[in-house]
Amino acid sequence: MILEALEREGVEYIFGYPGGANLPIYQHLHEHPKLKHILVRHEQGAAHMADGYARACGRPGVVFATSGPGALNLVTGLCTAYMDSVPIIAITGQVNSTQVGRDAFQESDVIGATSSVTKHSYLVTKIDQLPRVIHEAFHIATTGRPGPVLIDICKDVQMADAERVTAERLHIPGYKLNGHIDLNHAKQAAEALAGAERPVILAGHGIILSHAEAQLQELAETAATPVGTTLLGIGGFPVKHPLSLHMTGFMGTGWCLKAVQNADVLMMVGMRVDDRVTAKLSEFAPNVKTFIHVDIDGSEMGKNVRPHIELVADAKQALAAMLPHIGTLQADRGRWLSQIDAWREEHPLRYKHSNGQLQPQDVLIDMYRRADSEAIVVADVGQNQIWAALWWNYDRPGLFINSGGAGTMGFALPAAIGAKFGRPELPVWCVAGEGGFVMTAQELSVAVEHQLDVKIVLLNNLSLGMVRQFQDDFYGGVRSQVDLTHMPDFVKLSEAYGMPALRVEKLEDIGLALDAAERTKGPFLIDFRIDPEANVYPIVPLGKGLGEFWEAPENA
Amino acid sequence: MPEATARLRPAPSPGSTGHFPASGEELATSRVRVLSVLVEDGQNTLTKIAGAVRRRGFHIRGLSIGPTREPGRSRITLEVDHGHAEADQVRKQLERLVDVVEVEDLTGDEVHNRELVVAKVKTLELARLIQRGAKVISTDTDGTTVEFSGDRDEIFDFVEELARHGIVDVVRSGPLVMRRTV
Ligand SMILES: Cc1ncc(C[n+]2csc(CCOP(=O)(O)OP(=O)(O)O)c2C)c(N)n1
Repeated sequence: MILEALEREGVEYIFGYPGGANLPIYQHLHEHPKLKHILVRHEQGAAHMADGYARACGRPGVVFATSGPGALNLVTGLCTAYMDSVPIIAITGQVNSTQVGRDAFQESDVIGATSSVTKHSYLVTKIDQLPRVIHEAFHIATTGRPGPVLIDICKDVQMADAERVTAERLHIPGYKLNGHIDLNHAKQAAEALAGAERPVILAGHGIILSHAEAQLQELAETAATPVGTTLLGIGGFPVKHPLSLHMTGFMGTGWCLKAVQNADVLMMVGMRVDDRVTAKLSEFAPNVKTFIHVDIDGSEMGKNVRPHIELVADAKQALAAMLPHIGTLQADRGRWLSQIDAWREEHPLRYKHSNGQLQPQDVLIDMYRRADSEAIVVADVGQNQIWAALWWNYDRPGLFINSGGAGTMGFALPAAIGAKFGRPELPVWCVAGEGGFVMTAQELSVAVEHQLDVKIVLLNNLSLGMVRQFQDDFYGGVRSQVDLTHMPDFVKLSEAYGMPALRVEKLEDIGLALDAAERTKGPFLIDFRIDPEANVYPIVPLGKGLGEFWEAPENA
Repeated sequence: MPEATARLRPAPSPGSTGHFPASGEELATSRVRVLSVLVEDGQNTLTKIAGAVRRRGFHIRGLSIGPTREPGRSRITLEVDHGHAEADQVRKQLERLVDVVEVEDLTGDEVHNRELVVAKVKTLELARLIQRGAKVISTDTDGTTVEFSGDRDEIFDFVEELARHGIVDVVRSGPLVMRRTV
């Protein structure tokens, strides 16, 4: 009955792992050939695969896990999806309803453990609840501000016989969708933007989730307003567009940060305005007279920055409602835009490449040259993530996938596998540091088993690079527990898993290795031994305002 | 009974009139919202509400729950300290929960704010308590049990009065709040 319901919801892939409390579901899996089950090697991998799948193709990712440890292994993955508003349906087995509360074997309070990292959750103790719950879960996960929904199903319910039931019509009185746009506010927002001297738009994941990229571009062009994106908003506005400020936040581009700090009107769309975006809150965008905030989740209004004009609505509809009211711009934008161009010249993205060592940017630039806009990059967390964000010109949504809000190391490999299942036609590059990679490296088996064209680029600096950089820069240079010289030989490790790999230590070998990866069918790993001292720039020191960013030292 | 009185002190509320909050310091930090929350009566509803409050760094100062006329729905009255967040965040965060049907923020509104106290006191001289409106429920060898309901200030005064009679035991229902004009 569960599997039937999943078929009805149009599910194609399930990422899962069996165990005592979900065996009744697995018993019938083979009767549903339309549902393709991917056996992961750890439940966290399942959650990240479902996440990567959902981010790549837009459909909700589905996860199975057993009770107790199985379900609890999902928590990090659910949190990752929750923080980044990604739709996932996690179906966990629970002990028999008659056993609940008796500390039965592998019983755990999964609802309790996951409540703060799910949009909603259900404990199903009776068979007749099931069709409604599954249908509701898909609805809740995918609408409004998307997010993970967990369904914990008692084992006896999984075994219960029921007549075939089709899901009834949805009736969820407590589920509020903010569909209604205050047109007055939309008009005010448009007028504020048109009346500004130094306007800036910042765009977050909401642009991508609501497919608002065309509206954003039209609004930016009509209002001659530059656009920066958050880490998760990357792809929501083409990096090569003349109005692009690229990425904002405490590791954003110098010209974007200058623009934000000097703006008089700042419109923030589909974003949470978290501390990674604002840096020191009291110094965030100090010259702004009018903050405009557009978000589908009303609780984001004033959570961190109190807007003067708020639009609680879907980004696409809100931007579309603003467009007709832009009218003629009051101020000539020429000066503002040429000021931004000057900042772009003054504070370009740059890196030091004079010490003969392999720089991560060299690798990414070569990759981008080959892929252009026809590849998905899934980054892990750390320096590799920021390099992959900045040194690539993403021009549309869905091409850059990473764990932003949670910053979950170990995300990239399973998410890349999920992304490949979701968008098999696109090349998928997994970019990771060696630290994060080994956290979920067991999922290499999945890539090999399904001969997935996932190409893994390790930016191996023999340390927890981002932490090492923070220690060097902000903690008195005391390097503590960041050394990763004792790691497996990644080439041999890959071979042990049954996939080819190469190690690259010199600049001139980058191309050859990438050629080999592209030529090879199925997964491939390249262990790039990068400069262990390479750092991420720009960076705003902890506790400082956005305006105080440090830049890469000029080339000596 | 200084300990008992300290525990019984009502939560500071910007909405209530009268002599509470007692000190200037409490006044400055009084950040309590009074909310009436209509919920679906599910197994996990209360955990989720409590979880959402805790997760945002808020603090529940008063709570009462009872059924409504609609089957399957309960009404929760909550007094929540919103910490450093904007006052409206409490309502907004609760509204995000699927089990929450409706949230009304009654802070500062014209409301009936009642609470029930049941107390057992040692004394048999009950005149002053009865004068305040207390009702005797039972009299035993070890004391007399009374009940009293009132608004925030009346409860505060009543509990202070109780202390003078020697409290054996006391329980309070938590706040019940209803808007005066519907
Ligand atoms: C699960 C988890 N644990 C710890 C951290 C803290 N953390 C953030 S970046 C980082 C270093 C990552 O090192 P590596 O994977 O080698 O990537 P690099 O920064 O070197 O590119 C750490 C430990 C985290 N984000 N996630």
